[in-house]
Amino acid sequence: MIHNFYINQSFNFHFDINQDVFDLFVKLSNDCNHMHTRDDYAQQYGFEGKIMHGNILNAFISYFIGECLPVKNVVIQSQSIDFKKPVYMNTKIQLVATVDSIVESVNVVIFKFNFLNNQNVVVAKGKIQIGLL
Amino acid sequence: MNKEEILKIVNEIFVDVLDNPNVVIDLITTANDVEDWDSLNHIQLVVAIEKRFNVRFKSNEIRNWENVNEMIESILSK
Repeated sequence: MIHNFYINQSFNFHFDINQDVFDLFVKLSNDCNHMHTRDDYAQQYGFEGKIMHGNILNAFISYFIGECLPVKNVVIQSQSIDFKKPVYMNTKIQLVATVDSIVESVNVVIFKFNFLNNQNVVVAKGKIQIGLL
Repeated sequence: MNKEEILKIVNEIFVDVLDNPNVVIDLITTANDVEDWDSLNHIQLVVAIEKRFNVRFKSNEIRNWENVNEMIESILSK
């Protein structure tokens, strides 16, 4: 199980942030803050237009852990994310996650990850700790 | 590093992991004595201790820990 992972093992996925994703997230979260829904409002604060909810990226993390790992019987034990740059509508996002450490005694794998936008700029980064059951 | 020095560092790890500045452990402390020292936090404690002391435990070693003293003995044995 834990031997399916090794240090520096890398995982790479692409996601689209588009109207469908945005609408589904708004429906889920009920977060209709003008920063996310009105270009003119977001522009007042120096953004190019309405900014996407940072936690959309966390949904992609959920998909990565739940669906893309070589084992399925995993749970997220902790997760942290730092948002570095705004993400706008119709952005292709790349997730690059790398195994940072493995704690075999407690069946734990820790990933470091970056989200990059179309321009290959890091828009968010963080850490995820999973437990293998 | 002697046992007392390790205990001091392990106490700092407990404070950090359990997010409780009032946690004070000694050698005979067990999980029953510390609020929030549950199974998930135990995993976080092991992860933090392995990282801080740059040691690797065996899973059966951890299972046999009866108190903080045995945890520290494991660290010292590495």
